[in-house]
Amino acid sequence: MKVSRNWLLDLLATLPPADALARQLTFAGLEVEAVEFPGARLAGVVVARIIAADPHPDASKLSVTQVDSGAGQLQIVCGAKNFQVGDLVPLATVDAVLPDGTKIARATLRGVDSEGMLCSARELGLADDAAGLLLLPANLTPGTPLAEALGLDDAVLEMNVTPNRGDALSHLGVAREVSVLTGQALRQKAPEVPETSEDVHAAARVRVEDAVGCRRFAARVVEGITIGPSPEWLVRRLQACGVRSINNVVDITNYVMLELGQPLHAFDLDRLSGAQIVVRRARAGERLTTLDGKDRALFAEDLVVCDAERPKALAGTFGGAESEVSQGTRRVLLEGANWDPVTVRRMARRHQLHTEASHRFERGVDVAAGPAGVDRAAALMAELAGGAVRRGRIDVYPAPAAATVVRLETGQVSRLLGAAVAESEVARILSALGFVAEMQQSGATLWRVPSWRVDVSLPEDLVEEVARIRGYDTVPATLPALTESLKPEPLAVEVERRVRNALAGAGFDEVVNYSFVDPVLLPQVTERPLEELGTPVEAVTLKNPLSPQQSVMRTSLFASLLPNLAHNVRQGQESVRLYELGRVYLRDPEGGVGLRPVAREPVRVGGLLWGRRLPRGWTGGEAVNDFYDAKGAVEAVLRALGAPTPSARLIRRAPYHPRASASLVSGETVLGTVGELHPAVARALELPKGVQLFELDLEALVRVADVVPRLRALNRFPAVLRDLAVVVPETERAEDIRAVIQEVGGPLVEEVLVFDVYVGKPLPPGRKNLAFALRYRAPDRTLKDDEVQAAHAHIVEEVNRRLGAELRT
Amino acid sequence: MRDRLEGLLTSAREEVRRAADAAQVETLRVRYLGRKGELAQVLGGMGKLSPEDRRSVGEVANRVKAELEALLAGAVRAVEEAALQAELAGPPLDVTLPGRQQPSGHRHLVSRTLEDVIRSFQRLGFDVFTGPEVELDALNFEALNIPADHPARDMQDTFYVDAPWSKAPADQVLLRTHTSPGQIRAMRSRPPPLRIVVPGKAYRVDSDATHTPMFHQIEGLLVDRGITFADLKGTLTAFVTSFFGADRKTRFRPSYFQFTEPSAEMDVSCGTCAGKGCRVCKFTGWLEILGCGMVHPNVLTAGGYDASQLTGFAWGMGVERIAMLRHGLDDIRSLFENDIRFLEQF
Ligand SMILES: [Zn+2]
Repeated sequence: MKVSRNWLLDLLATLPPADALARQLTFAGLEVEAVEFPGARLAGVVVARIIAADPHPDASKLSVTQVDSGAGQLQIVCGAKNFQVGDLVPLATVDAVLPDGTKIARATLRGVDSEGMLCSARELGLADDAAGLLLLPANLTPGTPLAEALGLDDAVLEMNVTPNRGDALSHLGVAREVSVLTGQALRQKAPEVPETSEDVHAAARVRVEDAVGCRRFAARVVEGITIGPSPEWLVRRLQACGVRSINNVVDITNYVMLELGQPLHAFDLDRLSGAQIVVRRARAGERLTTLDGKDRALFAEDLVVCDAERPKALAGTFGGAESEVSQGTRRVLLEGANWDPVTVRRMARRHQLHTEASHRFERGVDVAAGPAGVDRAAALMAELAGGAVRRGRIDVYPAPAAATVVRLETGQVSRLLGAAVAESEVARILSALGFVAEMQQSGATLWRVPSWRVDVSLPEDLVEEVARIRGYDTVPATLPALTESLKPEPLAVEVERRVRNALAGAGFDEVVNYSFVDPVLLPQVTERPLEELGTPVEAVTLKNPLSPQQSVMRTSLFASLLPNLAHNVRQGQESVRLYELGRVYLRDPEGGVGLRPVAREPVRVGGLLWGRRLPRGWTGGEAVNDFYDAKGAVEAVLRALGAPTPSARLIRRAPYHPRASASLVSGETVLGTVGELHPAVARALELPKGVQLFELDLEALVRVADVVPRLRALNRFPAVLRDLAVVVPETERAEDIRAVIQEVGGPLVEEVLVFDVYVGKPLPPGRKNLAFALRYRAPDRTLKDDEVQAAHAHIVEEVNRRLGAELRT
Repeated sequence: MRDRLEGLLTSAREEVRRAADAAQVETLRVRYLGRKGELAQVLGGMGKLSPEDRRSVGEVANRVKAELEALLAGAVRAVEEAALQAELAGPPLDVTLPGRQQPSGHRHLVSRTLEDVIRSFQRLGFDVFTGPEVELDALNFEALNIPADHPARDMQDTFYVDAPWSKAPADQVLLRTHTSPGQIRAMRSRPPPLRIVVPGKAYRVDSDATHTPMFHQIEGLLVDRGITFADLKGTLTAFVTSFFGADRKTRFRPSYFQFTEPSAEMDVSCGTCAGKGCRVCKFTGWLEILGCGMVHPNVLTAGGYDASQLTGFAWGMGVERIAMLRHGLDDIRSLFENDIRFLEQF
């Protein structure tokens, strides 16, 4: 909302400079976002009187004028013709800068000197009229800055009023605050309405059928009106507040709203059938053409202001075209009503309207302001539109509101603020704000809340009033005592930290993505049996997404990571390792009851590897990320958690390649999956081949983590190393062979490592050579050579027997 | 025999002088001092000598052997020294070549910032509490004193969720617009006193250079007997010192949130210009960092706490904004593009 400083000066004797005023208001809770000076662009432009004008000796279109600039006589060459000697016009003096950026300089025009420029309204940015010089009112004095002469020497405060402070959406409201902040009385006088002898009740009747929607309906009737333009001062004030001038009657209703905060509506009384107003809910099939020319079907809940026959306006929201004030309007019914905030809000939403009136009614308008508003507007119409105001005022107020009373305990302000505030100061501030101490009880005061403060109902509200007027800087800063014992950090926090560190160490960049994704991704990326790949996925869906591409909640982190890969490949990246630690969103049929969340939101760790294993460099090879890089990254994560190496089982699950994917299990705990992206998915999503992925469940990681491991005593006896190589069918799994070795070798075999895998000549097709390094060690003695020899021979024999392997040595 | 021994020494001196490398020196050592070397062969004839001769020749033999050993040891030192000098004199490495590639990953700016904020509050004794993002209207709004049809809802344009599977009323399910429902969940599941932070994602229908439809917040709540607005100021100022540094100042302005009363905005003096005014702080010298206030009694009641006995304060801040201020970003959307060239800068 825009507030004119000059306008505030109607209501207050003195004001601080604009910047100081803005600061004071901001620190009292009425935030001033910006201060504009509309006159600033007219700096250097003054009122001048033309005292002589002669034709230019060398240019028939130009005149040579002599002007009184207030600071001496100047010669100005001018191209306009619409003036006479004696007229007052704007003079841009030398060095002035016009709104379009033109800088005025001394000039010689066809041999004649010119010391400035006489301006049109357009050149000054005041209006579109470029036809000639802007002729100024004759009562001005030459030399007066034009901004001052036109009332533009104003400061306009751009205010951001919070939704609770409907009372501050007017100059009166802001002036009330300023009066408290600056310690001066408000200069508010009741308007004197010149009335005729004819009774208003004879001209119009008002019936409120819906007392829930309409709390109060005040009205005045003004007759004999001449519709015409508004005077300059009124137009300028509206302009300062960003409101365009329409005609005198409409302008007056807007003016009073900006001044008092009471939205008004002016009906053409002659176009109200039966000369009556009926407030009711809309009926089935009713329509209304609003002022914007839209023909609207009305909803049954809409609250409408009707005449004897049909709706004429959406209450507190928007007027109707039929009863609009027009050029021929002579008699006006002025409405100053108080509408229910919820009714207006719902109606405005239904019709996708947001008007100055609905904005105010939604936030709550002073129920006492309606009568004052129509009085003020009627008085202005008498003054500015030649209107005759009928005697009296219609005021339908079915259930007068009882004032809110708040009980504030003695010392309550100090106790909540943690600052010593004297009771006398509390009383002084609240009284200045319009609160009235109704009664002293033992240890408490009952405060009556002024009708305009619809936001105040609790003692805490009063504490805030006192605190904001005193200033929050008057409250000290203290630290509260720690009255509970500190809790240990949840294990999950440490696990997250270690996962992030491990993945950073493995070269993964962390990404954070929107939780909502493109629904076309889910059938491709959701983890489930491979047979279901491409079929629909039941996800958590948004009703009102920003775009269809952001309309479902992801069921897999791959729905985020794969588009990240696409983006980075487009950017020319050759080596991509990304991970995200975040939630996926799954429907929970039992959710939404009590504290149980509507959806299951497990936290997952998702990883993606593609392209070169390491960025291009002179020391690196050409190796690209493969399945074992992905698995290695997962193993690194588990090592960082102190968890045992998980066992892997080949899986046939989307979105993985059935030949290169595994589930990872640690004991009973399923940790997640790892594998290459299914080529068909890669093709469908236009991704390159060879994308490696993993997704782990954080909760599972927490279960297997051992972040404070116990020491395992070091074995001090010497170890004996032996290698073992076997040729087996390619389908044979290393882990199975390793398990046999471990089982047969028993406790003497301390460690079994695969150190080579070979396929190719001279091996026959379909066979592979696996080489294991075995470390023998006994916990209690030095192993003898023949002991190791015997154990090794036994292992060789057993592996051979059980797996049909051919031994190589 | 004595002459043969002396001759051995003479020829050895000559040959060692000509030896060019360690291998040749070794060959000479074997030839002269080896088990079947020349010295051994000469001494092999000692048995035929008379005892007197044997003693005198033995003396000579010992001297010759010692000299041969010294000679060869000196030769070894000489060739090693020569080799060392040769190695040191060779061409140097191109030290300007980049080092061998090591894997190096990067934390995302948002998660890093969030963790830093959390750590600061952990030092003040706050616990981490998390809640769901798919939330009920009742917890996201109603329990926080934001009834339906209240204009305060305009401040938080909401994504609604179609949740036909759930037992929740159809119009009730939404993406939380702030982390604040975590306050209610915490109060309903833990007895007072309470000292928590609630980090996480929140969602609003909004998208421009300073807003994304998803963003991160961190919310804090402290409830106990006798908690004051002064405690709020002290705690949040302590956070600013811990997080931004001791040279930064704070100020509190009145504001409005449905779930707090009194409410405030906290500004921190601009770190770029030390409060003098610059482009970052829009020439005010201050940066708006968070909203806060004393917990509204209706909210305490909604959390199942006794509002006549307990008071508390709460605050909430946007993590992206803090990250942007700290690292000089001007478009929030760049945080979620996840371009590696961006990610690798932090
Ligand atoms: Zn700055």
